[in-house]
Amino acid sequence: MSALAISSARQPGAGLRDLLAQMRESEPRFFALGLLLLIAMVPTAFAMSIDQRIFLDVNVWDKPLKFEFALAIYILTLTFFARWLAPELAGRRWYRVYSGTVVAAIVAEMVWIAGAAGMAIPSHFNETPLGVVIYGFMGASAVLLTSASAVYAVQIARNSQTGLSPVLRESFVLGLGLVLPLTLITAGTMSSMGGHWIGGSPSDAGGLALLGWARDGGDLRVAHFFATHSLHVIPVVGLLSAGLLGGDRMGPMRLSAALYVLLVTYAFVQALSGHPFLPMLG
Amino acid sequence: MDADTLFQIASTTVLAGWASLLISPFAPTISDRVAGIGVPALLSIAYAGLVMAFWSGAKGGFDSLDNVALLFQTPQILLAGWIHYLAFDLFVGAWIARTARQAGTGFWLVVPCLVLTFLFGPVGFFAFLSIRAVKAPASALATA
Repeated sequence: MSALAISSARQPGAGLRDLLAQMRESEPRFFALGLLLLIAMVPTAFAMSIDQRIFLDVNVWDKPLKFEFALAIYILTLTFFARWLAPELAGRRWYRVYSGTVVAAIVAEMVWIAGAAGMAIPSHFNETPLGVVIYGFMGASAVLLTSASAVYAVQIARNSQTGLSPVLRESFVLGLGLVLPLTLITAGTMSSMGGHWIGGSPSDAGGLALLGWARDGGDLRVAHFFATHSLHVIPVVGLLSAGLLGGDRMGPMRLSAALYVLLVTYAFVQALSGHPFLPMLG
Repeated sequence: MDADTLFQIASTTVLAGWASLLISPFAPTISDRVAGIGVPALLSIAYAGLVMAFWSGAKGGFDSLDNVALLFQTPQILLAGWIHYLAFDLFVGAWIARTARQAGTGFWLVVPCLVLTFLFGPVGFFAFLSIRAVKAPASALATA
């Protein structure tokens, strides 16, 4: 793994090509879906450039564009970790059914979010009778698609042939494994409260650049963001720790993971009490 | 970007595709990529964006001629329909040029079909099918 990082630093072009080929080979379904989501951003961005309609004070296509990007990053990240799953897993019937269901959940989620944008109606927190039913399905498919990271964590933890150093392997397992519980708590609260804004104005205008987080009150999306990105942050810490301190020192990585959970908790409590995250960012 | 500007951009772009078909005997690969993939793909993105943005606000539908007419009273949907013509006509033009090249049909026979496809889409397509049928009846029926 650290050898891979070093060789990609030497030959950026070839390293990236090898990396993408590896990702495609390890989990072809998720890889294809990730590319399709990125491609879908092109017509969505074009629709955004010609559509004047506004929803919650930003363009109606702002949200589908963000979801396409976020879901692509998520699913492509899983293809990166897929090489450390047990090789026989890909042939197992349950895994094929499961990964197909995850793909279907992501497609369904995206179709509804884009369709709702096209009709300029809310995709989340839609309180019409049909909207409530669809919102229930969305919740289920969101949990399902998020569970893929937990399945990966369990499978990598059970695979004794990963060839990874102990610290790296545990950082992957922790990073992937924390996504589901942390996201369930943060996003689940958001969902049960009927919105993610607390205290401030319910508008996306004037939010933090790119991310849109509220600047004048609490915003539960901050904690959701950090919760979901544990599958990036903790493995990167593991990579750094393995490179700097060797593959067997677990302490610093475990401490970092614990601090990261604290950060998510902090952002969560802060939003619940109606305060914006890092208000000095403007 | 308003509908009129987009109309101009789409028309100019599609002309580049047709121009590449006219030089296809000299640059077949470029012409196949530009007229057969690149320009139709760009126009398809524009079509998709227009439908995503304006379909829900338009009246009408596909089920009767009156409803189709109603659909085209929304200028952006009319533009989408026009871009649909442009994209698919060019794609058919590229198919004609490619198929004729593979069959060894003289380019002097292809040019009138391309002109007809450019102006009256299906007429050019039918003209090319007719020429193929006369030249090699069996293969035309097998792969048309």
